Amino acid sequence: MAPATQFEVAQPPNDAISALVFAPDSSHRLLASSWDKNVYLYEVDADGSEEATLVKTYEHRAPVLDVCFGANKDEAFSAGLDHLVKRIDLTTGEQTVLSKHNEPVRCVVYSPEHSILISASWDNTLHIHNTTAPSTPPLTIQLPGKPHALAASPSKVVVAMTARLVHIYDLPTIATALSTSSSSPIPPWQQRESSLKFLTRTVSCMPNDAGYATSSIEGRVAVEWFEDTAESQARKYAFKCHRQVAPDEEGGGDVVYPVNALAFHPVFGTFASGGGDGTVALWDAEAKRRMRQYQKFPDSVAALAFSRDGKYLAIGVCPGFETGMEDYTGEGRTKVFIRELSETEAKGKGPK
Amino acid sequence: MGKKKRGHPDVEEILSRPWCYYCERDFEDLKLLISHQKAKHFKCDRCGKRLNTAGGLSVHMNQVHKESLNSVENALPNRQGLDIEIFGMEGVPEDILQQHHQRIITNYYTAQAERHAATGNPPPGQSGSQGPTKKIKVETAEELKKRLAEHRARLAAQKAALANGTPLPVDGQSPAQVASPFPPPQGGFPYPPPGVPVVPSYSPVQAYPPSYPPGASPPPGAPGAFNLPARPPINAPPASSLPQRPPFFYAGPGATAPGYPASASTVDELVTGAARQGHGDDIDQLIRMAEAGIKPAKNGTPTEETPVDKKSKKEKNMRMVYGDSEVSPEEKLALLPRYRFIEV
Repeated sequence: MAPATQFEVAQPPNDAISALVFAPDSSHRLLASSWDKNVYLYEVDADGSEEATLVKTYEHRAPVLDVCFGANKDEAFSAGLDHLVKRIDLTTGEQTVLSKHNEPVRCVVYSPEHSILISASWDNTLHIHNTTAPSTPPLTIQLPGKPHALAASPSKVVVAMTARLVHIYDLPTIATALSTSSSSPIPPWQQRESSLKFLTRTVSCMPNDAGYATSSIEGRVAVEWFEDTAESQARKYAFKCHRQVAPDEEGGGDVVYPVNALAFHPVFGTFASGGGDGTVALWDAEAKRRMRQYQKFPDSVAALAFSRDGKYLAIGVCPGFETGMEDYTGEGRTKVFIRELSETEAKGKGPK
Repeated sequence: MGKKKRGHPDVEEILSRPWCYYCERDFEDLKLLISHQKAKHFKCDRCGKRLNTAGGLSVHMNQVHKESLNSVENALPNRQGLDIEIFGMEGVPEDILQQHHQRIITNYYTAQAERHAATGNPPPGQSGSQGPTKKIKVETAEELKKRLAEHRARLAAQKAALANGTPLPVDGQSPAQVASPFPPPQGGFPYPPPGVPVVPSYSPVQAYPPSYPPGASPPPGAPGAFNLPARPPINAPPASSLPQRPPFFYAGPGATAPGYPASASTVDELVTGAARQGHGDDIDQLIRMAEAGIKPAKNGTPTEETPVDKKSKKEKNMRMVYGDSEVSPEEKLALLPRYRFIEV
């Protein structure tokens, strides 16, 4: 059994990490977006030397709130605080503006199945871009609230908004609307209320297209299924995590951390959660069990990403933003760890 | 395992069970405990090797995987340390051992009391002492007279006290309290406390005043109805939580009617009440109490004296490090001068 190893990336971003993502066709290519206005491209060495080298940085005008890969390892899209959705050619470094929102863009997600890029902005809209025809203007979908998290499965897009609103859109429907360029608004496939009582932090979809997981600022994760049948909906559940017992001197009770990151393992369908407490846990969604909890990282876990083959887990660590912080900075304390998983490390045991 | 549990084991049996320092689980025998510890607490999460101790695992992690072990897996939050070498029951610190025993004993007796209360069965091994307490106490004429005299004396004292405006402890005792495991600490109680504490079954208001034939000889309080359970959660409301009543209904023995106002109207009420009581007997009082819907059980028993073995429950107060459920951390960051974007 290959032992699991973990190492730190030598040149991490200079400020807080907003997103980490591995390339769809290379398990060694990693992108990180940062509040220091840059997108970083890393290459994890394949020779087992336990190193990741910084290949290139892509400077933006404003902090970058999200990044995702496009159709291949040379194409990326970024969401900026400067309201712009950009396409980045990772080889040449050329940046093209795809669309401009009226407010900062919070998330971008790319659907390789439909060649669609979706961006979500605090102007309460989604922009749907046809990446095969970048010059055509994007389709706009109005949202009832500010979006905070966005995730795509092969056939669905989940948008989590303020006021615990969750909209699920059907990607084939969106693709049809895009190709016919009809002006009628695209209705959500499903509208749900979040299973969690507090502000949604992040959403991640199951790789098998069956459902998704959400997490909130109140140390909790919910797992639910797309299928709108009584049986499927009865399967959904939520659980507490990323909490610490406060010492009695401080009044005891629990210190509750936000769950900042969720990532499903592409092969086993288990998922990892990363929280403000600086821990990463691996969960078996089917068996409803925690499989592993890794040793604490020095700061809050801001982002997580599994490589496409499930061999690597990238962990973005930086100070967490807590209530009352007026002079937040992630400078000097932002780190990226890469964990090489052993073959069965993330494998669930199946329902018991 | 496999062995059928016969009833409920006694406390020695539970105390003798080996248990795991890390998670407080107990086991049938030491072998099971050790295999539990190897599987749950001393297993390497890299290769699955089961070590004998936390120290062994630490060395293994160091040498084989070049990693350091900081805490014992699956352990209770305050038991994750590697500094204590545990193998089976060996190495458990003395204070932790004592704590564990204390916890078991407390839990055991709480569970036992609950079982007895639920089933109404007497505790096993104490049946010998059941005889006297089960019998209905019959007072002899002398006893009754003595009680009556005492009662009168108290009334007189009460009247005198009322004139001074200070309510005195009043008779609210019942002979049925003989059955109570917690004899009232008050003087003048005519019956010796029982030698062996017996947990009586709880009977809510039953066999209660109206069923007494009026005119019968003064019944000794309300027998049976005062039969309080020994379990504090039910019968331990502080006397002050009772509705305001004239003190001779209200003040328990030893209680000094806290916060009772000495206003004129109340004093009137007290005086008339006392006068009435002077002429009539306990029955009137009991009937009036029943009419007023007061449970004498709360009045007549020194509930404050009941030992409270209730575990102080930890209040579930939680503190969220980020508590704004409307605005996301990113929105707040975006407003900080450090990150704010101003289009030029």
